[in-house]
Amino acid sequence: MRPKLIVLFSWLALAATAQQINVEEHVLDNGMRVLLLPRRGSANIFGGWIARVGSVDERPGITGISHLFEHMMFKGTTTIGTRDPEEDARLNLEMDRVKAEMRKEEQKLAERVRMGEVTDPKDPKVRTAKHNELLAKFDILAKRQSELLVKNEFDRIYTSEGASRMNAGTSEDFTIYFINVPANKLELWFWMESDRLAHPVFREFYTERDVVHEERRMRTDSTPTGRYLEQFDAMFWKSSPYGWPVVGWPSDLESITREEANAYFGTYYAPNNLTACLVGDFDTKTAMELANKYFGRLQRGATEPEPVRTIEMPQLAEQRMTAYAETTPEALIRYHTVADGHLDDAPLNIVASLMNDRTGRLYKALVLDQQIATAAFANQESRKYEGFMQFRGVARPGKDPADVEKAIYKEIEKLQNEPVPDRELEKVKNNIAAANFRRQESDFALLTNILVNDADRGWKVLNTDPKLLEAVTPADIQRVANRYFLAENRDVLLFYRKSGGAK
Amino acid sequence: MKILLFLLLASVPALAADDGIPKHPRDLKYPALNYEPPQASGYRHKLASGATAYMVEDHELPLVNIVVLVRTGKYLEPEGKVGLTSLVGSQMRSGGTKTKPPAVFDEEAAYLAAQMSSAIADTMGEARMNCLTRTLDSCMALFFDMLQNPGFAEDRLKLAKTQALQGMQRRNDATMEIERREFARLLRGPNFFTVKPITKASLESITREDLAAFHSRYYYPSNFIFAVSGDFHNKEMMAKLDKAMAGWQNGTEKVPEVPKPGFALKPGIYIVDKKDVNQGRVSMGHLGTTFDNPDHLALEVMNGILGGGGFTSRIMSRVRSDEGLAYSAGSQFSIGRYYDGVFMAGFQSKSPTVAQAVSIVREEIDRIRTDKVKPDELSTEINSSVEALSRRFATAGQKAMQFASDDYNKMPADYWQTYRDRIKALTADDILRVAKKYLQPDKLVTVVVGDANTILKGNPDKPQYQLSKFGNIERIPLPDPLTMVYPKAQAAE
Repeated sequence: MRPKLIVLFSWLALAATAQQINVEEHVLDNGMRVLLLPRRGSANIFGGWIARVGSVDERPGITGISHLFEHMMFKGTTTIGTRDPEEDARLNLEMDRVKAEMRKEEQKLAERVRMGEVTDPKDPKVRTAKHNELLAKFDILAKRQSELLVKNEFDRIYTSEGASRMNAGTSEDFTIYFINVPANKLELWFWMESDRLAHPVFREFYTERDVVHEERRMRTDSTPTGRYLEQFDAMFWKSSPYGWPVVGWPSDLESITREEANAYFGTYYAPNNLTACLVGDFDTKTAMELANKYFGRLQRGATEPEPVRTIEMPQLAEQRMTAYAETTPEALIRYHTVADGHLDDAPLNIVASLMNDRTGRLYKALVLDQQIATAAFANQESRKYEGFMQFRGVARPGKDPADVEKAIYKEIEKLQNEPVPDRELEKVKNNIAAANFRRQESDFALLTNILVNDADRGWKVLNTDPKLLEAVTPADIQRVANRYFLAENRDVLLFYRKSGGAK
Repeated sequence: MKILLFLLLASVPALAADDGIPKHPRDLKYPALNYEPPQASGYRHKLASGATAYMVEDHELPLVNIVVLVRTGKYLEPEGKVGLTSLVGSQMRSGGTKTKPPAVFDEEAAYLAAQMSSAIADTMGEARMNCLTRTLDSCMALFFDMLQNPGFAEDRLKLAKTQALQGMQRRNDATMEIERREFARLLRGPNFFTVKPITKASLESITREDLAAFHSRYYYPSNFIFAVSGDFHNKEMMAKLDKAMAGWQNGTEKVPEVPKPGFALKPGIYIVDKKDVNQGRVSMGHLGTTFDNPDHLALEVMNGILGGGGFTSRIMSRVRSDEGLAYSAGSQFSIGRYYDGVFMAGFQSKSPTVAQAVSIVREEIDRIRTDKVKPDELSTEINSSVEALSRRFATAGQKAMQFASDDYNKMPADYWQTYRDRIKALTADDILRVAKKYLQPDKLVTVVVGDANTILKGNPDKPQYQLSKFGNIERIPLPDPLTMVYPKAQAAE
C-alpha cells in the first residue's frame, strides 16, 4: 500500500551549508597535525590522536602488532611506571635475550609438531630441560621488574585528575587514542600524550601479549560466529593484507617480539604520521602554545611511512562458504567494491541506505512481504585501500538461508534494472542531512570522526562528502549496481545451525 | 645492532627538547575550575496534563530531543504473560497507530528523518524522539500519536513474536548469554520478575488485546516525566506539549510498588559445559544493597578500588597486568533502587587458567576486607569521582536526562550539590568497614561457562590452582531454550 504523501520542503540545500564543521587546522614543524574544535557548554575536553597505521600495514609473522601496540602505549614511559628507569631498561633487554633463546626452543617444538611427533606444544612434558630453565629465568626477571614497577601509573595519574573514558582502538587502517579531561587540565593531556610518544617504554610486553591473546579468545574464538567470519574474511581477500584479522593470528600473537614493536614505533608513531585533535571547552591560542611546547619536542621520523603496495587481485569466480555453527541460519553476500573516497563510494553508500531500516527495501521485501527473513541489512565498508558492499539476511525460523540469498539477489536486480523513484531517494537524503547534524550532538563523536577521516583523506571530507551524497542520481545508482554486483565479484557465506543445538 | 639502537631511542629522554616542561605531571599547576552542578529545579515545569517536564534549551544545532520516562515496568506483567512488556514497548513503535497503519506511520517518520523508539525495561518505560527543528510539529504529532494511540497491528505483532522466538532459539549459543542468565537466576531465584524467562508458551499466550490493555493502564500524562532538550523555546515547547496531550485522560489507579525478591541463594561453584570454546567466562558474586542505604557512596569507592576503576583497580591490575590471564577483569557493586543490587566480579580466561584467576579474585576480595586501602588508592578514586562530576551534565541532553531520571528515582534534590563533599569525607576506615560488611566470601556464587573438563583439569604448569578448592562444584545443564525446562542436574563432583 502506498503511504499518503506528506508535503515537505527539501532540506538538501540546508544540509549543504549548515552542518559545516569548522576545525582550526595547524601543522607543527615536525609534521604533526593538530586540529582544534572549541565548543562551549561543558566543563571538559575530549582529546585524542590517531596514528596512520593499522593491520593493513603488517606482514605475515607480525599480524596483530598494531593492536598489541595500542595496548603497549599504556605501559608507561621513562618517567611514568617505574621507580628505576635504568634498571628497568636493563631488565627489559635481558628479558628480550631470554625470550630470543626461548624462541629457538619453541621453533624446535614447532618442527616436532610439523613432523607429528608432538601434538600439544603447550604440554610441559614435551619441553627440553633448557626450555624449562629459560622459563624459570624469565619468571625471575619478570618478578624483579615488577618490584620496580609503579603499577598502571599512566592510568592512575589521569584518573586521579578526573580524566575519564580513556581508551584506544585499532582498525585495519588506523590506531586511535582518546580521553576526556576536565577543562582546566588541558596541560596534563599534553604532558601525558607527548611523554608517551617521546619516551615510551614497552614494559610488561610479554604479559600484554598474553592479554591480547585472551582478547582474541574472547572476541573471536569463543563467540558463536567469530571464527567463521574471520575465515570468511581470509577467503574474501586474496592478495590484500585486509585478509588477516586486526587482532592477529594466534601463532603470530605468541611470537611477536619487543624489538619488532620498537621498530614499528619508530616508523609509524613519528609525529609526521600523527594527527591530534581537541574538542570541547578550551582556548585555541593556549592549546597551540601547549601543542608547540609538548608535541613540538617529538622528532620527525627518519623515513616517511610508505603506503601499502599490495593491491587486491580482481576476483575471477564466485567463492562460497557453508558454515554449520551455533547460530541462527543466515545469508551473507559480499561484493568487492571501492575504497573510501572513490567516485563510486557515494552512490554505494546511498544503495546501503535504500536497503536499510524499517522502510528500507530489504526489510520490506524479505521481512514484511515475503516473510522469509526476520532481519536484513546492507552496508558499504569503504576502507583506505579497498572496499566491499555486504548484504545480510537472517532466515526466518524454518526458512533456508539459500532462499534468503536468492531474495537478496532479486532486490539487487531491481536496483540494476529500475531507476530509484525520486521520493525514495529524497527520503534517504533527508536522513543523511539529519545525520549530519546528529553527529555533532556529541563531542566524542566529533573527535573520532575528525581523527578517523584525517588519518585517510583529511578531516575536510566531513564537509564535502555530504555534498557528494546529495548529488547522487538514480542513474548513478543503477550504474554502480551493474558495475559491482556481479556473480563473479562476490563471496557468499551461508550459516546453518549446527545439529545438537537448539531447534 | 638493531635491538640496542631502538631500545636507546625509546628509553633515553631527549633532554634538550624538554625545556620548560615539568619532569613529572605532579609538578603541573592548573587554573582553578569552579564547577557547580546545575539545579534540577531551575529546569522543572509542570504541564497542564499533569506530566512533569525538564527542559534544557540549546540552540547550537537545529535538533530537538524528547525523552519520556513512564512509570511502568516488566514487574507489572500479569501471571503467565512473561514477555508482554517487551512487546508493548516495541510494538508501540512498530505497530502503527489507530489511524495510521504501520507502513504509513513508518514512511512518514522515515521521510521526516525522525528517530523514534519505545521500550519497557524492568522498572521503567521509555520513549524517545529526535528530529530537525523544522519538522518539529509533524514529528511531535507522530510521536504523541504513537504514545497515546498505538495501533498494535496484528501482522507486526506476529512478526515480533517470530523474532522473539528466534531470539530464544539463540539462548544457548553464546557463552556470555548463558553466563548472565545463570548468574542472575542463581542470585535472585528463578521466579523473580527480572529472571523469569519468556517461554514459547508465554509468548504464544500474549494477544493484541493484552498489549492494548497494558498500554492504556500505564501510559497517560501524569505517569510521564519528560526530558526535553535542544533547539526550542521553553514557553513554546510547554504549549506544544500541553496541546499534544490535551484531553488525554489520566489514570486513577496507583501504579503498584516494585516487589522485592525473597530468595536465599546457595553459595558454590556452578559450571555450565560448553564445548568448542577455548575460554571460560566467570561471574562471581552475591546480593548487595539499596540506594537509601547511606553506605552506598563508600561502596562505590570501595568497588572502584577493588575492581570497578579500570586499570587502576586491584582485580584488573593483578589478573590482567600482572598475570596476563584476561583481557577484561573487574567488579561491579550495583546499588538497587527498589531491591538489593548485586556485587559481581568477573573475567574471561583461557580454560586452563580459569581456576588461577578465580583464586586471585578471591584473594583480592579477602584483602580489601582485612587491610585498609592505601592513601593513593583512596585519593585516586575520590578525586576521580569529584573531578569527573561535570561529565554527567556535559550536554543539554545529558542534563535533561539526569534531572528526569533523578526525579523518576526520587533522588534527594541536593544529591549532586552535596555529592562531592560526601565523597571527599570518606576515609580508609569507611572503606574497610563497608568491605567487611557487604562483601561476603562465604556467600559467593561462582558461575563458570566453558569447556568444563579442560577448566576443571587446570593448568599443568600450576597444578596448585583447582576450582574444587573453592567450594562444592555443581554442573548446570543447558535448558531447553523454548520451554526453559532444565534437564535434571547431574550429581555434584
